[in-house]
Amino acid sequence: MDKLQIEGGRKLYGEVTIGGAKNAAVAILPASLLIDEGVCNIDNIPDIKDIKCLENIMVDLGVSLTSERDGHVKINPSSIKTHVAHGENVRSMRASYYLLGALLGKYNKAEVEFPGGCSIGVRPIDQHIKGFEALGAKVTIEHGYIRAEAPNGLKGANIYLDVVSVGATINIMLAAVKAKGTTVIENAAKEPHVVDVANFLNSMGANIKGAGTDVIKIVGVDKLKGCDYSVIPDQIEAGTYMVAAAITKGDVLIKNVIPKHLESITAKLLEMGVNIEEYEDSLRVYCKQRPKAVNIKTLPYPGFPTDIQQPFTTLLSVSEGRSIVTESIWEGRFKHVDELKRMGANIKVEGKVAIIDGVEKLSGAEVMATDLRGGAALVIAGLAAEGVTTVTHVKHIDRGYEKIEEKLRKLGASIIRIIDKKYE
Amino acid sequence: MTEGTMQFKFNFEGNKKVQEILTEVYNALKEKGYNPINQLVGYILSGDPTYITSYKNARSLIRKIERDELLEELLRSYLER
Repeated sequence: MDKLQIEGGRKLYGEVTIGGAKNAAVAILPASLLIDEGVCNIDNIPDIKDIKCLENIMVDLGVSLTSERDGHVKINPSSIKTHVAHGENVRSMRASYYLLGALLGKYNKAEVEFPGGCSIGVRPIDQHIKGFEALGAKVTIEHGYIRAEAPNGLKGANIYLDVVSVGATINIMLAAVKAKGTTVIENAAKEPHVVDVANFLNSMGANIKGAGTDVIKIVGVDKLKGCDYSVIPDQIEAGTYMVAAAITKGDVLIKNVIPKHLESITAKLLEMGVNIEEYEDSLRVYCKQRPKAVNIKTLPYPGFPTDIQQPFTTLLSVSEGRSIVTESIWEGRFKHVDELKRMGANIKVEGKVAIIDGVEKLSGAEVMATDLRGGAALVIAGLAAEGVTTVTHVKHIDRGYEKIEEKLRKLGASIIRIIDKKYE
Repeated sequence: MTEGTMQFKFNFEGNKKVQEILTEVYNALKEKGYNPINQLVGYILSGDPTYITSYKNARSLIRKIERDELLEELLRSYLER
């Protein structure tokens, strides 16, 4: 497996351009399967491993898909030949479950092998199943497959989600978009990628209102058509570079962002004494002194995102004073802490809470990326640490960060990828 | 004005800024193939700029007006016509 080797201690300077939102793109690609005519031209698709897996899955389904280097993807699903998705690619990523909603919405039946993804805690799909069943589908789980079938078609329904779930909200939208009648999702997730998927579906001719609020109304339509669309910028990638700029006491202009989506991260960094200048679609982040400790608690949007908690924990590990981090979304999201401790961090984890006593500096070490965002947290630690840090299991980072070493090198970081020929 | 271009008419000078911005945003959304009313309603309800295209700088433009001011002007314009 590839490794990233980082020589720490260099301040980051310059500009970085953020790619398309992973969490939106992994739902928008399956959503394109729903069209009955035309093609979908989608821009700003990030160049990451999860997208490559998804594209391979869609090609296996029979979809005609052309992916270009500049983030443009053209999709024509008219040649699709099956409602069954399986194989290594399906098992390797979480978002393959969006194929369930999309195929169910298209064919009234879907069979998808159980999804994989980061091991950050129990990630049930009961709310997805509850939604599909409310729409009239019979759902069974057998032999590692999730099967959903509605021989008499899907019918609109009122669905109250017991917990706020981005995945369930999007999956129900995908299934309901062509159902007969009106579907109302209550206690829906409000994340920007939910809105982006709803926008994309509406561009295809769907009738979805209320995305971005906790009540989403979907009036079923008979047909959907191809469209041109551009995915929103990735708030988590942007947040990661904000943290990287702060921890290296650098000065970075982060371009192609929607500042509104970053408000919770911006607020915390300002509280820590980091300087942030907000422009229309960019942010300048610079820091001259050691940041101050703060407390954070992860919450659904617009609260502090769980995906940024891990990179932020790294920043807090070298901040002045004691910070308390409460992870209220995923219970397994402190796996990177043991690795940070190898680098000299002083962190104590008790259940869903991490108590961090900031140290003056971290020291380079060989550490293992345990999951996607935890991996990014270790890269950030390496940028700030004294000496050389080697981050192993980079495959996790590659799932969600576009050209990470290239972007960081352009900002002045000393980072190289060591390719493991055994796995090529 | 091209065919299909929307002009919002407000009753007094004070809300000219809102009128201009709303018209520009509406036209940008329409040119990109969206249903502009749906998108603007979505934005007003949720506050999420994702609803507004970045085309022709519309996303930045809409953020120049606070949502409550926008809604106030729309209501005033409707009720006083």
